[in-house]
Amino acid sequence: MLNPMTSVKTAHIEPVPSGVPQSGIAVEHVERSFGEVHAVRDASFIAEPGTVTGLIGPNGSGKTTLMLMLASLLKPDVGSIRISGHDPVTETAAVRARLGWMPDVLGSWSSLSVRDTLIYTARMYAMDKTAAAARAAELITLVDLPELADSPTRVLSRGQKQRLSLARALVHEPDVLLLDEPASGLDPVARADLRILVRRLASEGKTLLVSSHVLSELDEMADGAVYISKGVTASAEALARSRASARPWRIRSSDVVALRAALVADGIDEEAIATDRTELLVALESESAASALLARLVGAGVPISTFAPAVGDLEHTFIDLSAEDSK
Amino acid sequence: MTAFFSGVGVILSLELRQRVRTVSWYILLGVFVGLILIVTVLLSFALNGFGSPNDGGGGVYSTIIYFVLLLGTLVAPALSGNAINGDRDAGTLATTQVTLITTGQLIIGKFLSAWITALAFLIAAIPFLIYAAIVGQLRVSTIVVSVIVLAVELGVVAAVGVGLSGLMTRPLFSIVVTYLVVAALSVGTLIAFTLGGLALQTTAKSVSSYGTEYNADGIPTQCSTPEEYEYQTPRFDLFWGALVANPYVILADAVPTAYDQNDQPTDLFGYFKLSARMAQVPQSAGYESSVCVVGQPEQPSSGYSNARDIIESTTPGWAVGLATHLVLAGVLLAGAWSRTTTPAAKLSRGSRIA
Repeated sequence: MLNPMTSVKTAHIEPVPSGVPQSGIAVEHVERSFGEVHAVRDASFIAEPGTVTGLIGPNGSGKTTLMLMLASLLKPDVGSIRISGHDPVTETAAVRARLGWMPDVLGSWSSLSVRDTLIYTARMYAMDKTAAAARAAELITLVDLPELADSPTRVLSRGQKQRLSLARALVHEPDVLLLDEPASGLDPVARADLRILVRRLASEGKTLLVSSHVLSELDEMADGAVYISKGVTASAEALARSRASARPWRIRSSDVVALRAALVADGIDEEAIATDRTELLVALESESAASALLARLVGAGVPISTFAPAVGDLEHTFIDLSAEDSK
Repeated sequence: MTAFFSGVGVILSLELRQRVRTVSWYILLGVFVGLILIVTVLLSFALNGFGSPNDGGGGVYSTIIYFVLLLGTLVAPALSGNAINGDRDAGTLATTQVTLITTGQLIIGKFLSAWITALAFLIAAIPFLIYAAIVGQLRVSTIVVSVIVLAVELGVVAAVGVGLSGLMTRPLFSIVVTYLVVAALSVGTLIAFTLGGLALQTTAKSVSSYGTEYNADGIPTQCSTPEEYEYQTPRFDLFWGALVANPYVILADAVPTAYDQNDQPTDLFGYFKLSARMAQVPQSAGYESSVCVVGQPEQPSSGYSNARDIIESTTPGWAVGLATHLVLAGVLLAGAWSRTTTPAAKLSRGSRIA
């Protein structure tokens, strides 16, 4: 399953060999403040090509500021950013040619049709008219907006605008994609389509950074995650601690009484067993502790129908780090 | 270079489609044409343009040109004053900035679009200008120069609007400030000129004498003691710079003047030009009026030269005025460029990038 780690090829990893990576995203000790407000205080992470990395943090943690710096719109005060090996500050055009950005703000040229929006975007990437029209047609199919292709964008619903925004980010077939809250406003079917599309883009070798605070959604598509809180990305130690910390597991049985008895017999404090409707919640240290417990319960003849982590990996880490933060 | 201009072309075409080509804009243009039609017909009757071939048509022409300038400067701020910050509010600025379009292409494209939109009003007025020019038997140079200066002035207003929309965060403010700039140039310059001139009065001296005895030929043989008297005179000559910053003055001043046999201007623009140029002549030195010299026939006052001499001996104010306008437009566009350029180092308070 998920491995919440990508964040952490930070300082203590061996100094990046022979300069900078030529692909993916590399961020080193980036800071950015607006006057007195330190929006991003120390962000470092690496996102590898062919992977989907989640960018996770509470509201106001600096996610969007970090995204804007990656998108070559904001200059970092300190630190370095490399997009496919290029610096957005000094090699802006090179970065923009390789970067697709889907903002969290859904703006569109309201009197232009979906098709014309994509054609104009393509032409802003210096494609000629024929190539732009062909690419627009491709993308309309890709994001499933054919019946609205020639309607003005102001008639689109939120979810449809979201899909248009994604198509716009893909116009020039970028190597690196930054998606800011891509699934908000999407219905479950569109959400599933988005997940499939995101995974396909990763399998084509693109680097994707997806920011969201809907963690279950990221759990479904991300290979790894970067945690950011109060402008600081989580360190490797913090993540390791979090992974080692106990997390609740959800156990369902047709015979709750027998299950509870078996758990107590296994040495779990009765106080520590929480009841959630017909299920019991038990804190366990690790995956291996969970496997061992499951084997013992089945061995003891308790009928088990569900045995799973109560919260997703990302959510667990997120909550754990947030709690650590507020201490 | 071609790559640069094809980028500008993309922005220009996008702006014209997105911002301008709307139903309300066509209605505005229709209302404008209707107004010009009414003005032309009424003026033709009022100035008796059909009867007297000279001044009627010339007057109609000058008035239509001024009317186009008035309406153009009233419409252009609304069309250009939110070009950049309006896009930011609509969430379409940042998505353009992450493409290969540079800030320069973006701003020039938006400026050209605002200018072309304002020029549409001039183009819509052309049939009326042609009519007035034919009726008034105007010279080609008058028509060409006045239309060019008008077009440039509309460009200046468009540039001011786009520039301020890049410098200010809120679209409403930048539109209002653009209107204030237009008002300052159209009305404020006249106020500054008048008040400034009147406030700084200097004392001038005038000398006059007259003959007391004449011989048979009417030549004075004895003159009175020269009388000196002092008076206060306004110093308009110090403020002519304010006057020539007025777009209406620039327009009149730029048009080459035709003179009649008395060296007087033949059209309305010429008279405006003469007034503007007379403001340059210092009044502080005073002048001698009817000075009597024994043995010489009395000369009428030589205080004023004729119109042609005044116009030809003074600085071409239109060039000074136009230069100030172009500098203003350039400075504001450059300011908008530096405020809008990305990756942004500094953001103004309370603004966001996307």
